[in-house]
Amino acid sequence: MADEIQNTRLDNLKETARPCFQCGICTSSCPVFRVAPELNPRVSVDSIITKGEVPREGNEWLCAYCLMCDQRCPMGVSLAEILMEIKNIAALEGKAPPDVIDSAESLMEDGCLSPVSSRSEKKRSELGLPDLPKANPKDVQKLFKATGALEVLEINKAAQEEDKE
Amino acid sequence: MTTGDPKESSAGPAEVEVVSSEPELRIGVFPCKCGKNIGAVVDIDEVAEYAKTLPGVVHVQVNVYTCADPGQREIQEAIAEHGLNRIVVASCSPTMHEDTFRKTVKAAGLNPYLCIMANIREHVSWVHQHDHEAATQKAKDLVAMSVAKAATLEAQPELDVPVTQAALVVGAGVAGMQAALDLAEAGFKVHLIEKQPTIGGIMAILDKVFPQNDCSICILGPKMVDVAKHPNINMITMAEVESVSGYVGNFEVRVKQRARYVDIDACTSCGDCVEVCPVDVPSRTDQSLTWQKAIQIPFPQAVPSSYFIDPDNCLGMDLIRCGKCIDRCEQEAIVPSDREKFIDLDVGVIILATGFNPANPSNIPRLGWGRYPNVITSLEFERLINAAGPTEGALVRPSDLQKPKSVAIAQCVGSRNISTRSGCSNFCCAESVKCALLIKEHYPDTEVSIFYQDLRMHGKYFEDQYQKAREEGVKFIRGRVGEIQQYPKTKNLRVSVEDTTHNKLVMEEFDMVILSMGAEGTAGNFPVPISCTSDSFYIESHPKLRPVDTSSAGVFICGGAESPKDIRDSVIQASAAAGRAAIILQKGRYPIEALSAKIMQDLCSRCGTCVNRCPYGAISQDGTGKFTVMGALCQACGTCAGDCPKDAIYMPNFTTEQMEAQIEIALRENPGDKIVAFACAFCSYRGSDLAGVSRMQHPTNARVIRAMCSGRYPVRFAQKAFEMGAGAVLYSGCHLPADCHFQTGNHWMAKREPRIRGWMKRNGIEDERFRVEWVSAGEGKKWQTIMTEMAEVVKTPRKQMTKPKPKKPAASKEKKPTAKPKPKAKAKPTAKPMKKPGSTKKSATKKKTTKKK
Repeated sequence: MADEIQNTRLDNLKETARPCFQCGICTSSCPVFRVAPELNPRVSVDSIITKGEVPREGNEWLCAYCLMCDQRCPMGVSLAEILMEIKNIAALEGKAPPDVIDSAESLMEDGCLSPVSSRSEKKRSELGLPDLPKANPKDVQKLFKATGALEVLEINKAAQEEDKE
Repeated sequence: MTTGDPKESSAGPAEVEVVSSEPELRIGVFPCKCGKNIGAVVDIDEVAEYAKTLPGVVHVQVNVYTCADPGQREIQEAIAEHGLNRIVVASCSPTMHEDTFRKTVKAAGLNPYLCIMANIREHVSWVHQHDHEAATQKAKDLVAMSVAKAATLEAQPELDVPVTQAALVVGAGVAGMQAALDLAEAGFKVHLIEKQPTIGGIMAILDKVFPQNDCSICILGPKMVDVAKHPNINMITMAEVESVSGYVGNFEVRVKQRARYVDIDACTSCGDCVEVCPVDVPSRTDQSLTWQKAIQIPFPQAVPSSYFIDPDNCLGMDLIRCGKCIDRCEQEAIVPSDREKFIDLDVGVIILATGFNPANPSNIPRLGWGRYPNVITSLEFERLINAAGPTEGALVRPSDLQKPKSVAIAQCVGSRNISTRSGCSNFCCAESVKCALLIKEHYPDTEVSIFYQDLRMHGKYFEDQYQKAREEGVKFIRGRVGEIQQYPKTKNLRVSVEDTTHNKLVMEEFDMVILSMGAEGTAGNFPVPISCTSDSFYIESHPKLRPVDTSSAGVFICGGAESPKDIRDSVIQASAAAGRAAIILQKGRYPIEALSAKIMQDLCSRCGTCVNRCPYGAISQDGTGKFTVMGALCQACGTCAGDCPKDAIYMPNFTTEQMEAQIEIALRENPGDKIVAFACAFCSYRGSDLAGVSRMQHPTNARVIRAMCSGRYPVRFAQKAFEMGAGAVLYSGCHLPADCHFQTGNHWMAKREPRIRGWMKRNGIEDERFRVEWVSAGEGKKWQTIMTEMAEVVKTPRKQMTKPKPKKPAASKEKKPTAKPKPKAKAKPTAKPMKKPGSTKKSATKKKTTKKK
């Protein structure tokens, strides 16, 4: 069942990637590529087109999702979406990198990734600005459950444990 | 409106009279064995015996090879001996030999349209090789269907129209000039229309042209002079075509010429006026890199060699506002009273050479053109390196007029991008390499890098250029330019490209960047309905075999208007278009489609539906509200008839009556087993033929009925077939969106599908019994698959229709007498008995239900 889902995901990915003619505009426009050349959207897509498989190196997790590649692709290929889907497939296989799992966990616990600092709270009250709403971890947990993110998180945590052993 | 003065063909010998239908129907049937091709599978003698029993048939003759000389002679002898007035040849596909047999009967004095074929080879013997009995039965059915159709065939007059011995060439770039010169040399009058004040087009402003890098204006200039001096060419500059009416051979063209304000004949191009003109405007020729005056000449070699005034920028041609040029001109060539004028021309053919526009770089902001002065287009480069350009041939960068030490050339700008133009511009690779070589020629120590995606150096001598460029040290890097940024102080440019062969980022500094621009189409504004691609280039009749013809007869295309192309290809295509046009002009008369639609005025409710169905604009309404078809424009697709709510359009050889007769005969026995398949002549029917030629075996259920275009099948045909108990119905045309031979017929057919399905639902007919399929002439395999699948469907007997409609046959019977535009008597009485077995739905449905039990 799970394999089937992964296979349809891969098939859809191939379909999305097909128009790519490997011109390299995406990569030369990518702000991440300039500092971290491991992330090369063109090469990621190339692996799907020519090898017919999802790249396993995990470089796609570096994508900042700025959508510059989407914007400039002459063939209208949605590269950011492709990278996102590669990440989804990897996550379903329990291959999300540890820092991503950590952030997901802290998001579940705190309800947000960067809590409002006491300094900025003080500043706001000085300026007479209203208090920012407090993040409610329960809401986030509900979302995690509803979207299946919780399951994915569990898969990854289990995989992590296994790796440790 | 009438079709000019069509008259009987002058080509045919005078003694051959068009034999109109005689009162008595005398059908001759000629079943052919085609050696063993048909004879080995179909029992031809049985078919022949059966044919003798068919109503109206007076003579049947079996032949081994009917298409061979003796076979044809036998048909001719039989016509004379037995007084035959309809011929049915039961042999191969009509696409194969219909023409042959039409010529045969014509030579025997019979109107060629009174001969039809029954396809018992491609549709029977070749595809049902293993079931001789069923194949013979199907062959009999097909013969009976053809005999039924033959009974109602009518003689069609072969008309032609006179051709005005003059041509209109629109656009005087290198393609238009070539076409005009070729036609003029062949002795025809040519009107050459150019929008700009000079002829020459884009080629006139280029510096050197690849692959030999010869001087562009040096080779074009003499040709421009030839055009201007040719006694047969009437050159009209600063003009555009306003309207076109008429049809092939008889176009009436109205041309609007803008005011030039300078007398071409008086102007000596001395240039005195320019010295006094106080207005500076950006130079169009020099791509706005420099200035020119409001009174100007595009370039020194312009033809006509005369100045013109740009009225938008001129201060005023009178002494109060300015008038300095008038004062200065010794020739008194300036004519302030000049106004735009209309010129009416009568021409027989039109050649469109309207060219393309260079792509607009301001649509691509990431490359910085317009914001960064040192990013220039290839056309700007041409002017910068041109001796007649703003810098007199000294290549400098625009920001500081210094010699560039490093130049990047970015390819595919404005091409191969689905948001601008997805196609390749065809010339930008060679153009880039040429630019690189020109730079190296001027400054050997300047570094040149070409950023390419796929270097397409496909033309003759192009590879030598590429090799030379590499030898000169030009760097070729595979990767399209992502973005260009400017260093504010030096105005140098930082180009970001991924070197895709090494997976690494190239972020280099260059003094100047040249954008190798693609092309944008200009088609679509011309007042003749010619289909265009989505990026505004004209579509040819056939991409391979009729590359310069268009869907409008007598209108040809060449040069950049057809697709982006280089000079050599433009010239080749222009000569081809001139040659095709000359064929029409030289013959003097043009045969018009004998099968063109006719509107039966007594039935027409004047709803006007047909007008927008016609892809050729052939149907128009006159002052009294009457719709008529202009025969010379009609291509006989029948899409109008397919949607006519009153069935008031008569399609010769494919009349509703004839096609319904075929349906009736096909379904008179065991209708539940039958698939009534409608196939269009140019695509699906040929696809079914291909299945035959490839011996792709399939079940024998189908009875194929041919029409010119899928647009011809009305909702009514499917309904009729189902009412008669048909097991399944197939409507087949060529692929959406753009493959239809008649442009849009398939679209209109597809729109009828929901109506048919709705009707089927209401009448309790299962959805899978009706199919709309797109089968091209190359898809024999697909035809086989469809036939096999549908044969499975008809295996289950049909349910009784929930709501049979008994009214229809009576209504159509009433219609029939009026359905004839020609009063000539048809063999009605003889045709009638044929319909007996299955003509009433009651009997058909009854039969079906009993079978089910």
